[in-house]
Amino acid sequence: MNIVVCCKAVPGLVTDLKIGADGKAIQYQGQLLAINECDEYALEEALALKRSHGGQITAISMGNIKALDILYYALAKGADKAVRVDCESQDPRVASNVIASALGKLDFDLVLTGTQSRDTLGGQVGIAAASLLGIPFAYAVVEVEARENNTVKVRKELGGGRYAEVELMLPALLCVQTGIQPLTFVPPARRIRARQQPVASFSLADLGLQVDQLAPRGYRFIAVRPPERTHQVELLQGSPQEIATALLNKIRESL
Amino acid sequence: MARDVLVLVEHSEGKVESLTSQLLAIGSRLAKEMKVELVAAAIGHRMENVVEALQGKGIDRILVVDDPGLALAGGEVQAHVFAEIGKQVEPRLVLVGYSLVGMELTPAIASKLRMNALTNCVNIELRDGVITVTRPLFDGTIHAQIALEENATAVVALQKGPAILTAPLAKKAVVQSITIDVNSIPSRSRVLEITEEPKGDVDLGKAEIIVAVGRGIGDQEKIHFTAELAEALGGTLACSRPVVDVGWLPRERQVGASGKSVAPKVYVACGISGAIQHLTGMRDSKRIIAINKDPNAPIFQVAHIGVVGDLFEIVPALTKAAQEAQTR
Ligand SMILES: Cc1cc2nc3c(=O)[nH]c(=O)nc-3n(C[C@H](O)[C@H](O)[C@H](O)COP(=O)(O)OP(=O)(O)OC[C@H]3O[C@@H](n4cnc5c(N)ncnc54)[C@H](O)[C@@H]3O)c2cc1C
Ligand SMILES: Nc1ncnc2c1ncn2[C@@H]1O[C@H](COP(=O)(O)O)[C@@H](O)[C@H]1O
Repeated sequence: MNIVVCCKAVPGLVTDLKIGADGKAIQYQGQLLAINECDEYALEEALALKRSHGGQITAISMGNIKALDILYYALAKGADKAVRVDCESQDPRVASNVIASALGKLDFDLVLTGTQSRDTLGGQVGIAAASLLGIPFAYAVVEVEARENNTVKVRKELGGGRYAEVELMLPALLCVQTGIQPLTFVPPARRIRARQQPVASFSLADLGLQVDQLAPRGYRFIAVRPPERTHQVELLQGSPQEIATALLNKIRESL
Repeated sequence: MARDVLVLVEHSEGKVESLTSQLLAIGSRLAKEMKVELVAAAIGHRMENVVEALQGKGIDRILVVDDPGLALAGGEVQAHVFAEIGKQVEPRLVLVGYSLVGMELTPAIASKLRMNALTNCVNIELRDGVITVTRPLFDGTIHAQIALEENATAVVALQKGPAILTAPLAKKAVVQSITIDVNSIPSRSRVLEITEEPKGDVDLGKAEIIVAVGRGIGDQEKIHFTAELAEALGGTLACSRPVVDVGWLPRERQVGASGKSVAPKVYVACGISGAIQHLTGMRDSKRIIAINKDPNAPIFQVAHIGVVGDLFEIVPALTKAAQEAQTR
């Protein structure tokens, strides 16, 4: 089974967030890019499926040159191939269009994405790409079982402790939840070795896309700032003992 | 011409989800300000009770698709049916709950209707005549405000917020049944069954005091600090999702969108950042105490009492104080 895993490079702490000149996008110089948490779980699931059913794993990331690090990490984890799509956009419509076009160039039975990226918190790109490709999808998948008859059976969360068991014909796209497989540790030596492996690169032109054609329409950012507090939190100060005594009193009066 | 506000109804076992009721409260206010109709779309099988429950919520029209094929429909089929309704209504705004079901449907419906999708929103309002949404970025430490342009339409997925109490409204909704040939919808997936998490030995729903531990605890070996605090306070230990994902505590202890919803008298959050999916499950707690070393952690947006500090100092001290108070 050939699997493509969508891996997004997301920044750690961001302190320089601002709105772009046209109000169409947010901009930041994220330092310390890491693989998006649920995407790492998606990669672990792909590796588990490969162990039991064979096939090839391709990791794909849309982003600037810094996204290469995430792809080397995916190769070190055990992905067979890596592709970077050279496009920098945090807009979910742009991302899903670009990723769907790139997927159209790859050979796959299954696409795994994460549920949500930690910077934009959109939770859109996976399902939107599946819709564009016209393939079946499932969100918040916590178990995948590959079956003989060119289908997968998945267990997905419905919230509140309820689940649905869904059968999907391949090719299909699954948005993988955190916790689906235990995360494995990658020895530093493997990470260094992975940097020797080639990473294919697609430009928007390679995909037959034009940036302006993809530009977000219909809405614009008007502010980015820390959230407004709806009520004032009472902050306790003092030594741990003083705080503990105060907290205990507060707890008792609440009962 | 796109005008109305369309709310997609989420329901289970004949009951309307509380998140949908929130959407309807928000939607009826918006529709009034926009001087348009509030339309609700409800799809499923045996919909009488759901339709009945939708009355009194300020809706002008309820569009119902009642079909046995929708009893166990998956995302593909549901998105198709909602999009068909959307094509008939041509709404300016579609409001969807950002539940796990809504998260799957929103991008699919927006794509079929060629509408913008604005997900994970915590607020939508009309500001000087402009539809404006607020949504978190970066784990909720930043909120972005986004304005919808004048001619644009959008599917807006809203997070569960603080409960909105509204008196029943006298307006009687017109119920309109729509026939869609559900069996002929092209679909390459099917739902085999719906299952429930097996009941474990903890019932978080009944606990009066909950001590919840987050990823800030850093290590399975250290969970006992919070377990001891829960015990000393006569409470129950719960946790955020990452603690379960890495196997430190069982799934039955997870609070949040994909775990349990709780509303105890006291909720002590230790090393939990307060991501929106966690807040959804505990924000109705009577008194929320947050211990977190990051003063900007979003948990302080809902906490009544906060301690900005190291949980490894505060938690053991509080445990000791509670134990001493017991023996005295
Ligand atoms: C579809 C979906 C469903 C989800 N469902 C749920 C759900 O049901 N429940 C849930 O919880 N999450 C859920 N999540 C995940 C959620 O988005 C967050 O990732 C998660 O809640 C973060 O958990 P956390 O606060 O424990 O960890 P983090 O966000 O990593 O926060 C750890 C916190 O600990 C603090 N800290 C670190 N060390 C210390 C110390 N020594 N002392 C004090 N504080 C310290 C840090 O400042 C930080 O704020 C879901 C996500 C998705 C996409
Ligand atoms: N730039 C990107 N490159 C690769 N995958 C992405 C990118 N953006 C989003 N994805 C995938 O889509 C999922 C959902 O992202 P989002 O809609 O941004 O929350 C992520 O978990 C990734 O798997």
